[in-house]
Amino acid sequence: MENKHIIGLVVHNHPGVLLRVTSLISRRGFNIDSLTASPAAVEGYSRMTIRLSGDDDQVEQFINQMMKIVDVKNVEALPDDSSAASELILVKVSTDGYDNNDILAVTSKYHASLVNIGEHSMTFRASGTPEEIDTLVSELKEFGIMEMARTGIAALENGDRCLNVL
Amino acid sequence: MKLNGSEIIAECLLEQGVDTVFGYPGGAVLNIYDALYKYSDRITHILSAHEQGAAHAADGYARTTGKCGVVFATSGPGATNLITGIATAYMDSIPMVAVTGNVTNDLLARDSFQEVDICGISMPVTKHNFIVKDVKDLANVIRKAFKIAMSGRKGPVLIDIPKDVTGAVYDYEPVKPDKIENPLLSDKNDFLYASKLISAAKCPMIYMGGGVVSSDAEKELIALAEKLDCPVASSVMGLGGFPQSHRLYMGTIGMHGGYETGKATDNCDLILTAGARFSDRVAGDRNKFGKDARIIQLDIDKAEINKNVKIDCCLLGDLKDTLRVLTETVEKTERPEWIAQLAEWGKQGEVTETPKSDEYAHPYHVIEAVRALTKDSDIIVTDVGQHQMWVSQKYRFEKPRTWCTSGGLGTMGYGMGAAIGSAVANPDKRVVLFTGDGSFHMNLNELATVCSYDLNVKIIVLNNKVLGMVRQWQKLFYGRRFSQTDPHRKTDFVKVAEAFGIKGLRIHNDDDAESVLAQAFADDKPALIDCRISPDENVLPMIPPGKTVDDLITEME
Repeated sequence: MENKHIIGLVVHNHPGVLLRVTSLISRRGFNIDSLTASPAAVEGYSRMTIRLSGDDDQVEQFINQMMKIVDVKNVEALPDDSSAASELILVKVSTDGYDNNDILAVTSKYHASLVNIGEHSMTFRASGTPEEIDTLVSELKEFGIMEMARTGIAALENGDRCLNVL
Repeated sequence: MKLNGSEIIAECLLEQGVDTVFGYPGGAVLNIYDALYKYSDRITHILSAHEQGAAHAADGYARTTGKCGVVFATSGPGATNLITGIATAYMDSIPMVAVTGNVTNDLLARDSFQEVDICGISMPVTKHNFIVKDVKDLANVIRKAFKIAMSGRKGPVLIDIPKDVTGAVYDYEPVKPDKIENPLLSDKNDFLYASKLISAAKCPMIYMGGGVVSSDAEKELIALAEKLDCPVASSVMGLGGFPQSHRLYMGTIGMHGGYETGKATDNCDLILTAGARFSDRVAGDRNKFGKDARIIQLDIDKAEINKNVKIDCCLLGDLKDTLRVLTETVEKTERPEWIAQLAEWGKQGEVTETPKSDEYAHPYHVIEAVRALTKDSDIIVTDVGQHQMWVSQKYRFEKPRTWCTSGGLGTMGYGMGAAIGSAVANPDKRVVLFTGDGSFHMNLNELATVCSYDLNVKIIVLNNKVLGMVRQWQKLFYGRRFSQTDPHRKTDFVKVAEAFGIKGLRIHNDDDAESVLAQAFADDKPALIDCRISPDENVLPMIPPGKTVDDLITEME
């Protein structure tokens, strides 16, 4: 059955490593929702988080294929029920024809902070699970979203376990 | 000691035991070729006519020796010309290190003359690649490249080196290469489970592939097959990995495999897969492959598990080890009824041969006549197409590393380069290249190389004057509309051979096949034999793509 899966990767921070990972995703036909990359806790390595749609077999194949990239040092599917996953959104909402307080009433529910006010817009920053961000976006659509940028999710497993460099 | 980058490359090759490289010079590799001049007493460089030929030669060298093939090319077109050769090696898991020059560091990323991003281009067809921008990294990158190429599932690695790096001077100290270790990844319980599945099976079969050859696991496979009294089918890539005269050998499996192996696959209750990957040419319908069978897969690459066909049990590690441990774990069995049933299917599947003709020779007849003139250790190379399948069906392979064919990528034009590499690597053996007129036209420029190095290569062009395999599919699936498969070429291959400085002979029909071949094989010189065969000859039997043995085609008009 097709599901959303969150995969954590630790990769050697070499030039071209992002291309190696994305090129493999593309040529093996994997279907991803988002990919984020940033420095890992260990120097010289990057941490990637990939959100993948697919069944369990596809996840197994994804992990096995990723492990074949020389610069990839570890890959794991993070358990859905015991991982902290969140993403950040910046969203510019049109204020034309609406009461600013109505907009603020929505954004405050999601703890979104107001980062800029324009002549015809307000820009908010919020973070949360992809599902929370999706709901925020759908509520703000009522007012008119002028533009938005989402980072894609970053995720860590709960508890003391870490995805270490193998 | 202080050496320049090019000398460091040469020293690192020597560290790895490399004494032969293939390639073609050019502007960005002038420094490297200057070092090759200096090291010519220790490293032999074979100059091809085209970089593609050099890449296939490195591939043929690797397949027939088990060593890592090495190829050099210049930047830009030199590098892109390698790509088909690298992709061919990648698909068949052949170890290779390709070294390309690039423009100097300060000219990179400026669309300079003969600049190309070969790392970007080669990424999907290499195990890994490197661009070395600093001479201090050079030696370690080369060492790493060889290790990657030769460990785990083998494959090609590319090293791109800007020209200034090949000229820059740096400290070099020799380092002994790391021992390649492929740890056994499955534990005792995995083997016990596999053994339990095997004990429960009444009619098992072994489906073997190129991994048996790659891991030099022939003896281990024979031991397992004999202990289990279990018949063996081979993929085209696996040929030579199990002696075909062995009583347990059935034949090739897949699209042009035999009726016997097809029936065995459909009726067996266990398939033991050794170093094979259920490609679409074997498992045409991957959901019906071995439909009543449990499947055990022995492989070194975890990503092959459940990739195409769902399996029940996997044993991961070098086949030599997994086969040995499995053989120790299983109990000796005999299964005369199953073997008899297979023999019965074997008889039913015998293909009736076309009657003799004055106009043409029959490919089977030519292949068998060649077999009569070759030793078990001689090397057979093919191009791609009908001739390749006929050889895979009819030539009797007895020893590993005697077979070079582009199994995965299906590269027409592979044969000439691969034959050159095989001949260079095995001066004591004869190399026979079976090719077709279509494939041969693609890279016949390498006749120049065969002649220059006076290689013991006998080139047999099974010449039907059409692009036979595509034409066969047009007959079957496109209403005999022969779109662009009947090129009406006037090429006289005997004259072509002579023009390149090689003896050219012609087989007109079955009657003169033996005598012409005997003449061609009388010495250790290169020779080309143009062999006229019928354009209406087909490769049979055939399982249509996406189907099973139930849909086997045994006759065609």
